[in-house]
Amino acid sequence: MTGYRPEWISHRSRVQFAELLKVQSKLALREPYALLGGLALPAILLAVFGFIGQAQPGNVGSTGLTIIDLWTPTILVLSFIFISVSLPNTLVRDREIGWLRRVSTTPLHPSRLLAAQLIIDLILAAAAVLIVILEGALVFGASLHVQILPFAVSLLLSIVELFALGLVLVALVPTQAVAQPVAGVVTFGLMFLSGLWVNPAQVGDPLRTIMYYSPSGAAVRAVLDSAFNGGPSYAGLLTMAVYTVIFGFVAIRYFRWE
Amino acid sequence: MVNAAPAVTVQNLVKRYGHLVAVNDVSLSIHEGEIFGIIGPNGAGKTTAVECISGLRAPDSGSISVYGLSPQKDRNKIREFVGVQLQESALPPRIKVGEAVRLFASFYPDPLDPDQLLESLGIKQIVNSSFKNLSGGQKQRVSVALALVGNPKLAILDELTTGLDPEARREIWSLIERMRDRGVTVILVTHFMDEAERLCDRLALINHGTVIELDTPEAIAAQAGGSRVRFVPSQPVNDETLRAIPGVNEIERKERYITVTGTGDLVGSLINVLAAIGVRVSDVEARTGNLEDAFIKLTKDDAFSVGKGVQT
Repeated sequence: MTGYRPEWISHRSRVQFAELLKVQSKLALREPYALLGGLALPAILLAVFGFIGQAQPGNVGSTGLTIIDLWTPTILVLSFIFISVSLPNTLVRDREIGWLRRVSTTPLHPSRLLAAQLIIDLILAAAAVLIVILEGALVFGASLHVQILPFAVSLLLSIVELFALGLVLVALVPTQAVAQPVAGVVTFGLMFLSGLWVNPAQVGDPLRTIMYYSPSGAAVRAVLDSAFNGGPSYAGLLTMAVYTVIFGFVAIRYFRWE
Repeated sequence: MVNAAPAVTVQNLVKRYGHLVAVNDVSLSIHEGEIFGIIGPNGAGKTTAVECISGLRAPDSGSISVYGLSPQKDRNKIREFVGVQLQESALPPRIKVGEAVRLFASFYPDPLDPDQLLESLGIKQIVNSSFKNLSGGQKQRVSVALALVGNPKLAILDELTTGLDPEARREIWSLIERMRDRGVTVILVTHFMDEAERLCDRLALINHGTVIELDTPEAIAAQAGGSRVRFVPSQPVNDETLRAIPGVNEIERKERYITVTGTGDLVGSLINVLAAIGVRVSDVEARTGNLEDAFIKLTKDDAFSVGKGVQT
């Protein structure tokens, strides 16, 4: 449908959205959950694995990959996880204190507030990708020979899938007091499933299958495969796509503005 | 002063929460450019009623028209010209006052100047303070600023001056009066009778979800039963003499004081009649029945008559 939009409406909505993005960015800097978890922590983690890699140079097992090569995808996905679980921190609070309700009485639909928050988090995720790849390549000599398209698709799908999971938390968690512990448990689960502590390639079934087809494990595997195995498996991408649809459905179905 | 076209019309509004009837068959119409007060005890249904008018809640039955539009169906259009101040609503703790007001200004087609508005609300000095560091009164004024910055045709203000000191209340009152002078229609939910008396052109007194009075503050106050005069006579006066004075209804005696309650120009007739029989009066204290007296009388009467059916 091509709806008729007078010029002043579209101009005004751009002005509204620009002002909203400005204020939301300032708030994101003053409440830097996503900033610290999404940018600082991955940079530090990468340095830790970088130094381990320098202490143990060469191939890991018979993979032909160094430690830094192997961990870079995991750290990227961790960054997306941290940004995603920071969504309920602000949005559940804004709903609880009546801010979303208040905004809903103005000409600006509160969905624009959500959109502004997601755009800011998307920019953070992109910055995390740049920081981790540049730090890995320039400081620790990680391999940069990846196929750009599958790599980018895998990263983007990982971000979308994990952000959708964050929105599920925003939709289901009733209060800020509940949001903190729930986000903690979810983060821990996702970190484990991503293979941060145990490599899925080295554990037996059924844990390996569970990790491969978990939201974070599938993301790590897709990014890793697209970087070093010529491309992600269709099963991996499909897994993430299915999760995205399910999370998106639940988030939309149960989202409340007040 | 009163324009013929109603700005807001509410007909037979009913809103239930589960089996609790919050608003039960409310009908009223609000003229353009008036300050319309909604008063009533806690839990009377005042907030629910105005939330239905602002489109925040969908009524179970009845109809609402705001400048000819339906708050439910035409919610997008209504949001353009209705400013709402909610009773319980905070801002993100780290947003600065100036940022919040400028942000809201950007939402509207023809906003007020944020700096001038903050100045007239007396909060220009906190423009760079974070919301979480404000006092209760400052938060309240920021909340009012957000409701007014869009330059609304209709402002719905719920518990406008709760938590403000007397001086701040007076400042906000005069701001609201200036808004009316510019032609803004105001719906004011309050449980401060002095505020309703001072500001409102007309009032709806709501109790148990029903409008039990709808009139000017003066007319409602008159229902309190007139005025009261206390005085000391220079020599004893008997009850018959007092009862003969026009307007006198009740007489009470306490030590040397006599208190008469009644209607009309009580002080005038009292002094004239007593002077004619050689009685001088001193220590005269007169009090006109005010809105607060009427409020207590009417809501108490209503409590006794619950179950008798719909009041008119």
